[in-house]
Amino acid sequence: MLLCDFHIHTRYSDGSLNLRKVIDIFGQAGFDVIAITDHVVNGDNFIGKLAHRFKFTVTDKNFKEYVENINFESKRAWNKYGMLVITGVEISKNYLSSDKSAHILIVDIKEFIPACENLETIFLEAKKQKALVIACHPHNITGEIINTLYLWKNRQKYARYIDAWEIANRDDVFNVVSLKKYPYIASSDFHKPRHLYSWKTLLNCEKNIESVKHCIKNNRGVAITLFRG
Amino acid sequence: MIISWFFLGLISLSIALYLVQLLALRKKLNEKFETEFTPPISIIKPLKGLDDNLFDNIESFCKQDYPQYEVILSLEDYNDPAYRIVRKIKDKYPDKVTIIIDNSDNSLNPKVRNMIGAYKASKYEYFLISDSNVSVDSDYLKRTVKMISSSEVGLVTNMIAGVGERSIGALFENLHLNSFILLSTCFLDTFLKIPCSIGKSMLMRKKDFEAIGGFSSIRDILAEDYFIGSLMHRMGKRVLLSNYIVKNFNEYWSMKRFLNRHTRWAKIRWKISGAKYFTEPLCNPVYLSFAHIIVSGFSQNAMVIFLGISFIKILGDLLVGKGLQLKPSLKYVPNPAITSI
Repeated sequence: MLLCDFHIHTRYSDGSLNLRKVIDIFGQAGFDVIAITDHVVNGDNFIGKLAHRFKFTVTDKNFKEYVENINFESKRAWNKYGMLVITGVEISKNYLSSDKSAHILIVDIKEFIPACENLETIFLEAKKQKALVIACHPHNITGEIINTLYLWKNRQKYARYIDAWEIANRDDVFNVVSLKKYPYIASSDFHKPRHLYSWKTLLNCEKNIESVKHCIKNNRGVAITLFRG
Repeated sequence: MIISWFFLGLISLSIALYLVQLLALRKKLNEKFETEFTPPISIIKPLKGLDDNLFDNIESFCKQDYPQYEVILSLEDYNDPAYRIVRKIKDKYPDKVTIIIDNSDNSLNPKVRNMIGAYKASKYEYFLISDSNVSVDSDYLKRTVKMISSSEVGLVTNMIAGVGERSIGALFENLHLNSFILLSTCFLDTFLKIPCSIGKSMLMRKKDFEAIGGFSSIRDILAEDYFIGSLMHRMGKRVLLSNYIVKNFNEYWSMKRFLNRHTRWAKIRWKISGAKYFTEPLCNPVYLSFAHIIVSGFSQNAMVIFLGISFIKILGDLLVGKGLQLKPSLKYVPNPAITSI
């Protein structure tokens, strides 16, 4: 089965390592598929403006460079490690209230999607680009003051747009989410080297982008594992 | 006052010893071994868990500029996280690499237990045991193997240097390797002719290894590398330290891991050396000059001596670093087309 992580940050947003180093860490550890998913933060409130001020976000201005750099590293990772690297972003709608905040992974994104759009527009744009939409950390995370509960609390309305839900994020398992019969994945929300050792996804499919997306959407041959060194 | 003079005497001795160690390193690095000897080699790599830089470490052994050799990667468990990497390396170098998964032995030493299956599967008379956390350049085998050309030589080991630190724990580990282990082994080998065997790289003949009892002589003890060297020496075979420096990658160590490892090592050295263990602080004048501050009641003179000694030690260690000419580990090379990252 393919060892995968679909939620990884670099210095393009708030990760501690540059893109090449991140790819080398996962390659050296034997991963088969990863997605680089730096934050695209909404700039329409105080929290978002801070993220933009400190460059903790990918913007429409550097998105092209972000994609090109991932593509360049993706070729290197494939040749050296046989590891598939997919371009993604984490649309981050941050508010002071956990109930209003939502984070969404868009995996295999092609064009920039602004985070200040409403959720339906974001989902439809992602679908138009044939990208995978994943609700990330949809439940309470240990130690977080502000969680991202909006999607889970409004799942009746949004579940039809979401291809998979994170049922485990880094060291947390969201039992409540996993009990619903939604397609699922588990990922590290990698920001620092120690986050390598965390929950991951195992997929039983071919090592190419379409097969990976198909496998997750259909939730066949998917398992989660706690990756330890 | 007498204690203070006693410590000043020890500090002087320690400084002298440190300078001799620097000389030993210089002498060792200048050693030349002009001979052509390239028998087929079996490289045995016992693996367990993920080490920093593991993929590159293993791959560096598959890219040797050497006529005939095999790389045997041995694990005890298919579920070991290193297995995924081993599979990828095997796919990349199918003719060179053999994978052995064997947990049938019950030796107490886990490294020995892991190597027994690989040793049985190895094809050649000359075999090299190499740890998973080391990386080498393509001339490593050629330069190491030629030192075992004489039948008087029973074991060839290599100098090691820590590289790639990106955390405080890794920095401490690498400092320890480069300014204590490396210098001490060079000093013992060059001037005292005491055999030093370093488990990270050990080249032997099967005939000699069997003569000292093979794996059954070391299966239930720790510090198997030390005992292999000792047994070879006792059998009348020479133990040589090659001046080829093997790079030990330590990137992301926590302080806890560093302290745990050295507590364990210290216990082993204490068990092996007995009272001689307490002479180790002599290898580092900084410890002694710091102790001098305490026994002298934090006198101004002791502090000046401490600062002076620390300066000399830092200077010496910088010289060692320069002498080793270690390449930076994982230098970031950005996409040439894109400059703003």
